[in-house]
Amino acid sequence: MAEALAASLPVQQAAPAPAAPTYEAIPASMARVVDIEAEIPVESVQLDGLVVTKIIKHSREAPSSSAHGLLLGLDLDGVLEVSNSFPLPHHAGDEDDKSTKSAARYQAQMLRSLKEVQSDDSVVGFYQASTMGAFFSQALIDTQAIHQDKLRHGGIVVVHDITQTARGNASFHAFRLTKAFLDAFKKNNFSAPSLIDHRLTFSTILEEIPVKIRTNVLLNSFLNTLTTPTQSHLPDASPAVASTSSLPPSFSPLNLGATGVIRNLEQVNDALDAYRTEEGNLAYLQRQIAREKARADAYTAKRKEDNAARVAQGLAPLPEEDVSRLFRIPPEPSRLESMLLLGQMDAYGKSLAGITSAGLVKMYAAKASSDI
Amino acid sequence: MPLGQPSSAVYIQNVPAGSHSSQPRTPTLVTLHPVALFSILDHYLRRMETQERVIGTLLGVRNDSGEVEVRSSYAVVHKETAELVAVDMEYHRTMYELHHRVHPREVIIGWYSTGSNLDTYSALIQNFYTQETGQHPAIHIALNTGVEEGQQPGVKAYVSSPVGVHPKPENCVFVPVPCEFRFHDAERSGLDLLTSESSSPLSDLETLAESLKTVSSMLDRVLGYVRSVLSGEVKGDPAVGRYLMDTFGADTGELEKGGFRDSLQDTLMVSYLAELVRSQAEVSSRLALVTAS
Repeated sequence: MAEALAASLPVQQAAPAPAAPTYEAIPASMARVVDIEAEIPVESVQLDGLVVTKIIKHSREAPSSSAHGLLLGLDLDGVLEVSNSFPLPHHAGDEDDKSTKSAARYQAQMLRSLKEVQSDDSVVGFYQASTMGAFFSQALIDTQAIHQDKLRHGGIVVVHDITQTARGNASFHAFRLTKAFLDAFKKNNFSAPSLIDHRLTFSTILEEIPVKIRTNVLLNSFLNTLTTPTQSHLPDASPAVASTSSLPPSFSPLNLGATGVIRNLEQVNDALDAYRTEEGNLAYLQRQIAREKARADAYTAKRKEDNAARVAQGLAPLPEEDVSRLFRIPPEPSRLESMLLLGQMDAYGKSLAGITSAGLVKMYAAKASSDI
Repeated sequence: MPLGQPSSAVYIQNVPAGSHSSQPRTPTLVTLHPVALFSILDHYLRRMETQERVIGTLLGVRNDSGEVEVRSSYAVVHKETAELVAVDMEYHRTMYELHHRVHPREVIIGWYSTGSNLDTYSALIQNFYTQETGQHPAIHIALNTGVEEGQQPGVKAYVSSPVGVHPKPENCVFVPVPCEFRFHDAERSGLDLLTSESSSPLSDLETLAESLKTVSSMLDRVLGYVRSVLSGEVKGDPAVGRYLMDTFGADTGELEKGGFRDSLQDTLMVSYLAELVRSQAEVSSRLALVTAS
């Protein structure tokens, strides 16, 4: 009960006013959840209604699937409460110093401004829009890895799927990087042996955290007003206008047309092609390594043979030279890119499977109703 | 889609005779996006104890037909006492510049405040925002949160016009403009998520199941009505009957003419393909771990 009580209590938002720092005693029920060192692990993510709409709006308006922004909030007793968010400007590819600096300035200014109106101003993670469920990308992993060091609890990433939302099911997933992946990332080593050591496949890069949606009481009551139909004042209004509501029930999940299947198939194809190219590169590098190794081995073997002959003839053996300096063996190639591509392919496949399974149900439902 | 209780206001259009094309049109309709609405509510929740109402800037897009789309909003620091009202203009400018970097198309179109009383201060703030919006009239949105007793939650939109022989900034008439709640169809499911009882996002199939349940309960209701009409308990409404006929007479001819089997085959094929791709990806990622050892 105390836990539920603690969860329902409002989070202390603003720091005490600097003029009169009066610290109240922490009530006993809350003492357990006071967590200065971030020791209570985050078990779920709670998105505020405002954040949900903000992310959806930004994702829909931004060109392609590049929309991303920061999430603001606090964590309390294992629940990461995301109470606000703001979009980050879209930077066109080039990561030069100037654009990075201006982005940082934008962030700092935004946070300061939000603090002035008593909003939460601590960054807890970021959000990323994606299409067809494929969100694995180098940029996402990099950003998250940076956050993991800087933010309390390492930060989370909330992934929003535009396509699924357009189909009538708003999709939000929260992730964080796994320990194994972070370890490999810190060493910047994604060669095959390192992957084996860390047991890394694309499915173990990120771990999912359950997402909860929360609408605060005020928002809830307002939404209720919006969904309640209002009766028209006119006595002889036609049924279409007699009772109107701001938020009429929607039946878009029942839409029979499987839109986006073709696009999705194309995406799968593209991902396959990209993966093949990447595999080709890897195989080329592997062959090169093997060739260099063979040459180095042959050289040492020959030197040994020569030395044996010289010893037999009573001559002094030639010095054993450092082979690695003679032959440059390329380092093991990084398999991160190919792993991410596989992850993307899997995500496309998953969303395709999702569409078709729902499609099957809808088709049989429509068939059954047409048989009546 | 109206917002809140219907009002009996008559919307007067003040279009000067032979209006010049250079003169921007008076707004005929204000539409409000959920993000703007929810931001206002959030701002109201986070107000200081001493604040009676909160104000902020509305951003959006105007189109040629006189419609004004409010797309987003941000809070602005302001202070009201019995003697004076102060709006932090610098804050307002900074926020606008920040916002402008992400959404370059959205411009300042007016301001919001909570509560529905329009007083002298409202007129003064309105006067300030009229300077900010340039030649276009500034919109004022008054949002009643409905937390005070006896007040209905709702949103009203106004434009202002000067009043008196010698117009003064503290005097103006707020002329009501129709206000609607509007969002893109693709954003609909997000609102469904907020209004649904479950507190976590559902899977595709679960959402489908929910929808089917709703349809089923609606069918039961209709069936109940039809039975009671047939048994003579209720007098049938011809309009309802006509709507029912239109709905249930929907053409499913294509499905019956072999279309069903074709679609079924396609869907199954795609489903098989998707699973195949997924399992191949999984196998491939595991093989990468095995081959090198």
